[in-house]
Parts: sequence; structure tokens; C-alpha cells
Amino acid sequence: MNKLFKHLGVAFALLFSAVCFANGGEQAVAQASDAQMWAQLKDGAVGYTASKSEFHGQAINTYDLRVLDLRADWLAPALMAALFGMIAIFIVFIKINGISKLHHGFSGKMVYRWSKADVAIHWLGAIPCLLLILTGLVLLAGRFFIQPYLGEGVWAGLVNGAKQVHDVLAIPFMIGWLLMTVLWAKNQMPKMYDIKWFMVVGGYINFGPFKGKHPDAGFANAGEKLWFWAFAIFGLVISVSGMLLLFPNLFEPSRNLSLLALILHGVSAIIICAFSIVHIFMATAMSEGGMECMVSGYCDENWATQHHNLWFDEIKANGTLKYKE
Amino acid sequence: MATLKFLCDTKRCIECNGCVTACKNENASALEWGINRRRVVTINDGKQGEASISVACMHCDDAPCMAVCPANCFYKTEDGLVLHNKDTCIGCGYCLYACPFGAPQFPKSGAFGARGKMDKCTFCAGGPEENHSEAEMKKYGSNRIAEGKLPMCAELCATKSLLAGDADVVSAIFRERVAYRGAKNAAWG
Repeated sequence: MNKLFKHLGVAFALLFSAVCFANGGEQAVAQASDAQMWAQLKDGAVGYTASKSEFHGQAINTYDLRVLDLRADWLAPALMAALFGMIAIFIVFIKINGISKLHHGFSGKMVYRWSKADVAIHWLGAIPCLLLILTGLVLLAGRFFIQPYLGEGVWAGLVNGAKQVHDVLAIPFMIGWLLMTVLWAKNQMPKMYDIKWFMVVGGYINFGPFKGKHPDAGFANAGEKLWFWAFAIFGLVISVSGMLLLFPNLFEPSRNLSLLALILHGVSAIIICAFSIVHIFMATAMSEGGMECMVSGYCDENWATQHHNLWFDEIKANGTLKYKE
Repeated sequence: MATLKFLCDTKRCIECNGCVTACKNENASALEWGINRRRVVTINDGKQGEASISVACMHCDDAPCMAVCPANCFYKTEDGLVLHNKDTCIGCGYCLYACPFGAPQFPKSGAFGARGKMDKCTFCAGGPEENHSEAEMKKYGSNRIAEGKLPMCAELCATKSLLAGDADVVSAIFRERVAYRGAKNAAWG
């Protein structure tokens, strides 16, 4: 009997302490939930709100804060360097090195190289590309490099104009990019002789061990191929990221995806801009007779044999060589 | 100079949306349809741990919107408020991506639903136009700060959950409340 009471006493004591533990636990839960609530909000919890505006269900958005300074600290100066820095480098280079002359002068015989449609899609992409670079420069770097020298009204007009032009010209640029990438890719496949082309910097250096070299090149030389594929890849990145930024209502990207698109857009722009400057300099100033290709679609025979010997041999051999009437 | 801040005491917020209504009414002259400068977010709605918090522009010290704006249309007042110039705004939406609080909003105007000029909470401090001018009313809404008054949302909060004012004063009030509540960990943060 005594033993039974002892057991009951222990059981009662255990029960009581269990209740105590349970109560203590509840209080701990209530207190922890405050900390939990703030942790949830900071982690980007989405709740109910009567507002129908974008992203309003989330009190606090979470993202990597470093992306905010990336544009100001790195991308803006980099785009300035890609444009004005590359121009300066090329001017100095041409002053020192001189241009690439045709050794035998112009032959006057014009070889068919590009169709009228090819020339058209080149300029469909090229003219918007130039204006997109300039307006993009205003949008990315303008507030650091241009705004300090302008009044508020002039700056507002400039940046607003840049935005409108940038938005509209994105469409023809993307069409031009797509057509050029798809239609021209077959002539831009890397070949073994492209490595040799790079080894002598394309034969454009007029001094030192590279002087007088003429590496083999097909329809496109290795430098042009590098530019083509850079344009194809970063053109895709810049088009996709641009579409996300231009049509948020259509694609409904998250804010973090939009920030990522903004960074990728800037990086792609820097690369395309730097390549564009090289491309323009090569075509207009550096390579004598090069510009004619994208004016009439024909090139001088001496230009073809000097810069694209394998291509000229090929069309001569297979009978597709066509002279201008 | 004071540094003006909002603070929402979630222990007091009852999700009445009085602050939202007060804001809409006070700034009606500037607000286009569908724009909510302030909203109340309720997390864990109907479950244990339900909590409501009133959210608008928090007028950050180091504001992300200012960092990313391509037009550089934001400026900081001497009271620490983050305001913007709608004449310079180009409606690109970058501030919305960068803002942790979803404060910037855009009326849909133009072709393909392109964004119009950004609108957000001004702490009832108007904008860069002349105080209480018609242009200021139309673009930014009321300017109670110029009258020595605090934002309407906080002034009309029935439970005094939403506090607005000098950061030191506001946080002192909140700290005192927490002390009287006596619970550990009851404070935010």
C-alpha cells in the first residue's frame, strides 16, 4: 500500500512538471515567433495585401546588395573605356603602325562578295547598333560623365531622348542580329589556319617579326570569325536581357532577374562596343578597300587575294567567281 | 537636422489599412489609378504567427534606388528623405528592381503598357517644385513637412502602430513600449 502511494506521488509529480514544461514551451514559442516573424520578413516572406501593385505581397525583397554598385563602379567606366579608350588606342596604333595598304594598288576589277540582301541586313543591325551604343552610354554612364556638365532640364531631355531611342531601335537591331547570325554562320566556322592567323596578328603589324606576313584566310579571317561569334553570343545575351527590361508586362520577370538582366546587358554592351570599334576601324581606316564590301557588296580583286586568298582561290576553282558588270 | 524615418510596430498593427486610405486621400491630386504608395502586408494570414506591417518607402540612408537610377532623378533632403524629380524620371523601372520594399510604382502609359513616371511615398514632403504650388500638388501630392506636420498615414494610425518623425524620437518611443511590454525578444530586428 505504501509502495502504491509512492508510485502515485511520483506519477503526480511527473505530470505536474510535464505541465510546467508545456507552459514554458508555449511562452518560448510565442517569444520565438517574434524573432521568427522578423526573420521571415527579412528572408522575403510573401503575405496578403489589399494592394494590387507589382511585388506588393512581399514586404522586403532579398538580393545581393553588391549588384547595386556594380553598374556605377565597374560597368559605367568600362563602357566609356570600351568606346573612347578603344578609339584612342586605335588612333595611336594607326599613327605608329600605319594602315594595311593594297600591295598592288586597286585592280579596278570588282569581285562579287556580298548580296544586296546581306548588305541590307548588315546596315539594319549596324545603324541601330551604333545608336544603341551611344544612347546606352548615356543611360549607363551619363549620370557620372555627362550630367555634371549639363543643367537639369537639358540632362532630363537628353536622358529621356536616349531612353526612347534605345527602346525603339532595339527592335531593328534584334532583327538584324538574328538574320546575320543565322544566315552568315556557315562562313564563320573556325578552321585550323585561323590559329596561324592569330599567331601573326592577321598580318596587320607593319614592324618587328610580324612585318610583311600574310596568313591564310577564307571568306572570313580569324579576327572576323571571333567578332562574328562574340556578336552572336553577346547579341543573344543583350537581346534576351533587353527584352526582359523592355517588356516587363509581357515576361513578368522577378526583380532579381531584372537586376541580373541589367548587369548582363551592361557586360554584353561593353564587349559588343569594344568589338564594334575594332570592326569599324578595320573596315574604314585600317584595311584599304575594305569598306567597299558593305557599300556595293563587291570587293577589289587585289583586296580579295591579299586578305582572303583561300576564299578567292576557292571561288575561282569552283566557278562561282563573278565580276561586276 | 533631424533624420526622418517611419517605424511600424507590428504588435500594434491591426491591418485596418487606415494608413493606406489616409495616404490615398492626402495625396489624391498626384495619384493615378492603381498606385498605392503605402500598403499593409500580413504574413502567416490566419495562422499562428500572423503579423501585419505597413510598408512604404523607408527613405533609406544609402538608398538603392538612388544608386541605380540612370537619370539620377533622386535627391536627399536635409531631413534625410529620399525624393525624386518626375520631370527627369524616364520610367525605366530600375528603382523598382533595386528597392527592397517595392516602393516605386509606375502608372502604365504609352504603347505596350510602357511605364510612366515613377511614383512613391514622399513622406508627405512633396517634390522639387515650389512648396504647395499647383505643379507640386499635381506631381507629388501634399507637402505636410513644409507645414511642420508629419505624414498623414502615421498621424491617422488608430493604434499608433505606424510612427513617423525624427529617428531618435521614434525609436525612443518604440523602445519604451518594448520595455513596458516586458517580453524578451519582442523588439524587431
